[in-house]
Amino acid sequence: MLKLRNVTKKFGELTAVNNLSFEVSQGQVFGIAGPNGAGKSTLYNLISGLYSFEGSILFNNKDISGLQPHKIAKLGISRTFQIPQTFPSLTIEKSIGVGNYFGSRDGFEPSYVDRIIDFVNLTDKRKKLTGQLNLLDKKMLMIGAALATKPAILMLDEPMAGSNAKEIKSLMELIKRINQDMGITIIIIEHFMKVLTELTERLLIIETGTEICCGDPVEVTSDPRVIECYLGDSHD
Amino acid sequence: MEHKRTAIILAVIWSIVAILPLFFGSTNFIMHILIICLIWSVVASCWDLIMGFAGIFSFGQVAFFVIGAYSSAIISARAGIPPIFAVFMAGIISGLLGVLVGIPCLKLKGAYIALVTFAVHMILEPMLKGDIGRFIGTGGSRGILTIEPMNIFGYAFTNSHPIPYFYLILFVAVICSAIIWLVIRSHWGAAFLALKDAEDFATCLGVSAFKYKLMVFALTSFLTGMIGGFYAHYVGMLSTRMLGIDLFVTLMVILVIGGVGKFPGAVIGAFITVAINEMLSPLGSYRPIILGAMVVILVLLLPDGIIGLIQKLVAKREPMVSPLRNNQP
Repeated sequence: MLKLRNVTKKFGELTAVNNLSFEVSQGQVFGIAGPNGAGKSTLYNLISGLYSFEGSILFNNKDISGLQPHKIAKLGISRTFQIPQTFPSLTIEKSIGVGNYFGSRDGFEPSYVDRIIDFVNLTDKRKKLTGQLNLLDKKMLMIGAALATKPAILMLDEPMAGSNAKEIKSLMELIKRINQDMGITIIIIEHFMKVLTELTERLLIIETGTEICCGDPVEVTSDPRVIECYLGDSHD
Repeated sequence: MEHKRTAIILAVIWSIVAILPLFFGSTNFIMHILIICLIWSVVASCWDLIMGFAGIFSFGQVAFFVIGAYSSAIISARAGIPPIFAVFMAGIISGLLGVLVGIPCLKLKGAYIALVTFAVHMILEPMLKGDIGRFIGTGGSRGILTIEPMNIFGYAFTNSHPIPYFYLILFVAVICSAIIWLVIRSHWGAAFLALKDAEDFATCLGVSAFKYKLMVFALTSFLTGMIGGFYAHYVGMLSTRMLGIDLFVTLMVILVIGGVGKFPGAVIGAFITVAINEMLSPLGSYRPIILGAMVVILVLLLPDGIIGLIQKLVAKREPMVSPLRNNQP
């Protein structure tokens, strides 16, 4: 469904993403992890069209390299951001409406917007300005607006960051429902290994923009190279 | 609800303005002031749409106004096109120039857009005064001294009888404010606000920054250019003095008093600013100092202008929502 071939991104002398190639299949929950500064969010910025890059990205066998972000969104790739981005001037209803009106190939469907608002549990706050929301609600809103575009792939950037155990549990349930009930392929960047091993089918570990390993999450998390890149040398 | 409130405020403002000639119709000077208020209210509202709503720090609004004024005067004089059509053509010329200015601004943010658009303002005066200007009929440094008055179906709107022109401009101002209101409440308006608040997120949701930013440049410069044309046919003469700092500052004061991004604050701001300006006229050269001090005080006391104050007062009257509700997952 999504294929990255030899994708490289350089900022001057710094190579943020280095010759990365991987593939995400339809319906999969694909995890990406790595230490801070590994290039995970940069990778999302490349896939979503915010940055230019070398190499190619194919989505449903169509080369989307060089396409503008709004065109990529319209093709069916949506995303959230690590630091919650909302539209403080707009209400929840309008914000999610923006996703549906501009991002969905089916055009604006108010009933679908209502469904999404309900899905992300924001019905009683739908008339509130998004600047007034707490962190969890802001994350829910980002996910809701992204879902309103009716994506085929949803890329989540550290959705659990700053959340407590109860919130993590409800976010995990939500992600499972998005994947299983709505049939949306998920790519998730996360630092919580427990979340990744429980949610994902495949896990990619990167460090300084380079692939360390990719495969079954349980095997990947016990790989000595992964332990080393997170914790330094192992001492067992 | 917010949009309904805006429509109600607009309806009240325009209704009050519409009956003002009943009280001041016999005084040409006051009618002239009211016409100028209406014209500035359109220019300031357009500026508010691009700066306050779309978050694009364009400082080219006066330039587009002057381009519209000169274009309409030249088109009607040189091509013999009736002024009522010339003002629309002037709007189109300003709109196209707005798009041309907007294109390089797409790659820029904040203060850099202000610099580029203000550069347009700065180069306009030497252009209008220079050889290019004289060639197209701007009259160079002398300006244009005779501009055909507005004429609709054989009825000439002259500035010696300002009441008919007042209602004509009021009609144009109502149409312009209705267009701005419709844009703000539409999905276009949501796109402008989304791009202002979080451009990356907005584009990742499918909003084309290119399309909507150019759209706001085109619309605001079109309306500003068109009202510039109406201004030219009203005053009957033009010079590059309009590009001086006075008009620029007046429009800024209008925005500050009305509230940036608080449409229809700019409409209210136009009437208040012009009224204050006239009341301070006996102070002569001290007027700008007093006006400047007032702006500083207003910015400190009312950062969101008159409309912001009204919103706060309304919010106080509405029942409070328990903050605990906001923390529920």
